[in-house]
Amino acid sequence: MGTRIERIEPIKIRFDPSNPFHPRSHHLKKTMKPPQLADRLLKLFCAPHRLEEVQGDLHEEFAWQVKRLGYRRARWQYWREVLGFFKPFVMKRKETAYSITYLTNPGMLRNHFKIAWRNLVKDRQFTLLNLIGLSTGLACTLLIYLWVNDELHIDKYNEKDDQLFQVMANHFHGDAVETINHTPGLLADALAAEMPEVEHAVTVVPASWFASKGVISAGENRLKAGGQFVGKDYFKVFTCPFLQGDRNSIFADNSTVALSEEMAVKLFGNTKDVIGKAVKWDNAEFTGTYRVGGIFENSPANSTEQFDLIFSFNVFFVRRPGMENWGNSDPSTFLILRKGTDIGQFNAKIRDFLQTKDKTKTQLFAIKYSDKYLHGQFVNGHQAGGRIAYVRLFSIIAVFILIVACINFMNLSTAKASGRIKEVGIKKVVGAFRSSLIVQYLGESILMTFLSLLLAAFWVVLLLPQFNIITGKHIHFEFDATLIGSILGITLLTGLISGSYPALYLSGFNPTAVLKGKLKTSVGELLVRKGLVVFQFTISILFIVSVLVVYQQIDYIQTKNLGYNRDHIIHFEIPLAMDSVKLKSAEAFLGEVKNSPGVVNASSYYHNLTGDHGAISGFQWPGKPPGKDIDFSNLEVGYNFMETLGMELKEGRGFSNNQNSDREIIFNEAAIKSMGLKDPIGKTVKFWDRERQIVGVVKDFNFESLYSTVKPCFFQVYPVMPNIMVKIQSGAEQQTIARIQKVFEAYHQGLVFDYQFLDENYKALYAAERRIGVLSRYFAGLTILISCLGLFGLAAFTAQRRQKEIGIRKVVGATVGNVAVMLSMDFMKLLGMALLIAFPLIGWALSQWLHNFAYHVDLGLGVFVIAGLSITFITLFTVGYQAIKAALMNPVKSLKSE
Amino acid sequence: MKRAFLGEFEEVVLLTVAVLDESAYGVTVTQEIEQKTGRAVGFSTVHTTLQRLEEKGYLSSKMSGATAERGGRRKRFFSVTAAGRKALVDVKSIREQLWDALPPQTLQLMGG
Repeated sequence: MGTRIERIEPIKIRFDPSNPFHPRSHHLKKTMKPPQLADRLLKLFCAPHRLEEVQGDLHEEFAWQVKRLGYRRARWQYWREVLGFFKPFVMKRKETAYSITYLTNPGMLRNHFKIAWRNLVKDRQFTLLNLIGLSTGLACTLLIYLWVNDELHIDKYNEKDDQLFQVMANHFHGDAVETINHTPGLLADALAAEMPEVEHAVTVVPASWFASKGVISAGENRLKAGGQFVGKDYFKVFTCPFLQGDRNSIFADNSTVALSEEMAVKLFGNTKDVIGKAVKWDNAEFTGTYRVGGIFENSPANSTEQFDLIFSFNVFFVRRPGMENWGNSDPSTFLILRKGTDIGQFNAKIRDFLQTKDKTKTQLFAIKYSDKYLHGQFVNGHQAGGRIAYVRLFSIIAVFILIVACINFMNLSTAKASGRIKEVGIKKVVGAFRSSLIVQYLGESILMTFLSLLLAAFWVVLLLPQFNIITGKHIHFEFDATLIGSILGITLLTGLISGSYPALYLSGFNPTAVLKGKLKTSVGELLVRKGLVVFQFTISILFIVSVLVVYQQIDYIQTKNLGYNRDHIIHFEIPLAMDSVKLKSAEAFLGEVKNSPGVVNASSYYHNLTGDHGAISGFQWPGKPPGKDIDFSNLEVGYNFMETLGMELKEGRGFSNNQNSDREIIFNEAAIKSMGLKDPIGKTVKFWDRERQIVGVVKDFNFESLYSTVKPCFFQVYPVMPNIMVKIQSGAEQQTIARIQKVFEAYHQGLVFDYQFLDENYKALYAAERRIGVLSRYFAGLTILISCLGLFGLAAFTAQRRQKEIGIRKVVGATVGNVAVMLSMDFMKLLGMALLIAFPLIGWALSQWLHNFAYHVDLGLGVFVIAGLSITFITLFTVGYQAIKAALMNPVKSLKSE
Repeated sequence: MKRAFLGEFEEVVLLTVAVLDESAYGVTVTQEIEQKTGRAVGFSTVHTTLQRLEEKGYLSSKMSGATAERGGRRKRFFSVTAAGRKALVDVKSIREQLWDALPPQTLQLMGG
């Protein structure tokens, strides 16, 4: 044994920290305190029965170390020591004879799962209803989320999206304002030169400007392609990465073209060694041989402008004379504005920009390019919604579906939970804390909602291809953080809300009262449940009425008399070059087609009949008030155009088929009215130094979408134009078309005869509406289905609860009919209330929607009657089944057991 | 009887408690070991060992003797139990047997 060290003497006076007179009290408090945070940490993890000695030792050591090392280092030392105590032996709590219930006890968790599973299996029908209802709702919501997300990202792919603006033009026709996206071809350069806010400006003639696609060929390969013409700053404005070649090469001369990757692969099999090769391009006056100068990445799927080829705008400029004229508005103009530009101020500056260049009243303004897709409608020259309405509509539908599904889930599970009140009582008697009951029931319903979520995800994956077909989109089920977050959030919330009734309400009862069976369903609870049912009914009715009206409107549009007859008319394109030999050949071709058996009439025209038309201003007419100007839509047509389309003339005659016809002009009624001309026939008008004599006035017809009213327009006649239109006799369409094809192939060797029916084009105009119609029909159907599932379950539950009552009623003489009616009546009352709420609401909302259309159906009583009757029928069917089932039960069975 | 097994550090701690006699608790044991062996030992290590020895039945403890530095907290005083004493004696005798078994030349080589 070594020598004994000096003992550390225990201090005899018991220290009282609160004693201010103790000599060390002040000292200890102020300077020698060990770090508080470390102490708190120690307290947190150290077992309570060990804390005293450990902390005491540490403090004593600390006091000693302060003397030895100084305060600062002692504190560090203290921290080290405290952290050293982070060991199992210090943390381990003292075992007691009583087991402690803590929430994550594995035994208890196992028990929770077991009970949950037993409850689910005990009433399979119920579980199934609940699962199907909620998963359908979640699946719908997910699908709509994907759709909305896709819509919101359209045209947002450009790097400088924040600064990218498109110039729009407001044309004034009398009091009416028409907003179009066509601007003069000279505008971009002028704006870039004169407006300091403009960083870059570019003129673009998009591929969609042409009535139909052109044909590109290389060797034997012939493909339809969309070509766009762009100004030289295009690549500074739009994001369009090049895979090969120099992107500015297309501006070098007027015979270079850039191909999309897809086009290059289709034409040449790969993208290697394509640069410098020659391609032939067939599209009206742009037909010719071009050299491939570059290959660019395919335009992204979320771009509204899809194109396969890029030409220099110069090509367009050279081949379409008239572009140098300020009065000719064909291309679109895009701007990159400098960062920090106030768009309001900028718009005020460019408003009258055109007046400085040309005699016109047309006003300009710029809108954000990526906003145009969703906010593409203009009222009185201002942006006024557009597709965003559908995005909003579907978002609302998604929210409603989700609410209906959640309500269902809540209604059913709370109804079911009230049967578990005895379980709650017994658990409490054997010592369950309220907190553990809350965790159990919340956990159970969250488990159920997550099961539904799994099922819903499965459904979405299954249905997505079909959904893409209906919506015409290419949506992938991508897991992005927002999606996962929001869906998990929604699921969790549903689980929490629907679980909160048993968890928070039932767990609060006094166990003795519960076990004695004294508990009554409170009035409030019934009211809430009834309220929720009314809400569900209301939404179902809203959906039914909306679907009916949307369908009526779409049908109306598609069958409305447009002022011309679009049935049995096919149209196709022929290559046309401005040399007299080819023109003669085209005329001969048209003549031959017209004389084919089965053909009623044939004509030709330039622009797209159902799409946009360029506008021309600067007209002079007799009696024109000074300062007044009108923009006229320009329809360049061949002979017999009006006859082929069955347009009616109000006055005068059609174009004469002779040399003088190029001095003739025909207006529509709207044009004559806005010019204020009396007796227009024979009067002379002037535009761009061309003199024209009015020979006829056609009745107004809808040449654009029915969203808009009829605009003023004029017709000029040419012997032949690139779009051929043939009216054929009904009954033998196929044979006639085959005959036309033969003629076509004889005249245009190697070209594909590609025709379309005019009425189909017209339908395509309303593709968005039709898609919305189909989608809303599906979603409405699903909502109704979900509500019915809920009703079904609720009716079953009510019948079950009132089993004894039904038994007694039957014993004292009630018939099956009496009982069934009694049970159904409860729900019918709720339905009645829902009808009262829903009808005014939906009537108002739908009349708002219909006002978007210049021509629309009137909101009749019929739809309401149909909706009311159908929902009543559905309810009766759902509830009645359960009611009759309950009423048919043998009362002896329900009464004998207690 | 099964022979006691003592780890090296356990042995040191147990011996130190015996050396300190009545005044053995966390702080004194730690400081004693530090002084005697010159090795720095953490409080927590000593605590763990004391506790383990108590669980093995070589030490008994009682709480008393609060002081000012300790903020009025009591100490856990340890004393060696009969079993502990036996274990120490056992260890010592094994050591002695081993020393005795050393050949004299080896002992010389080691400077003993």
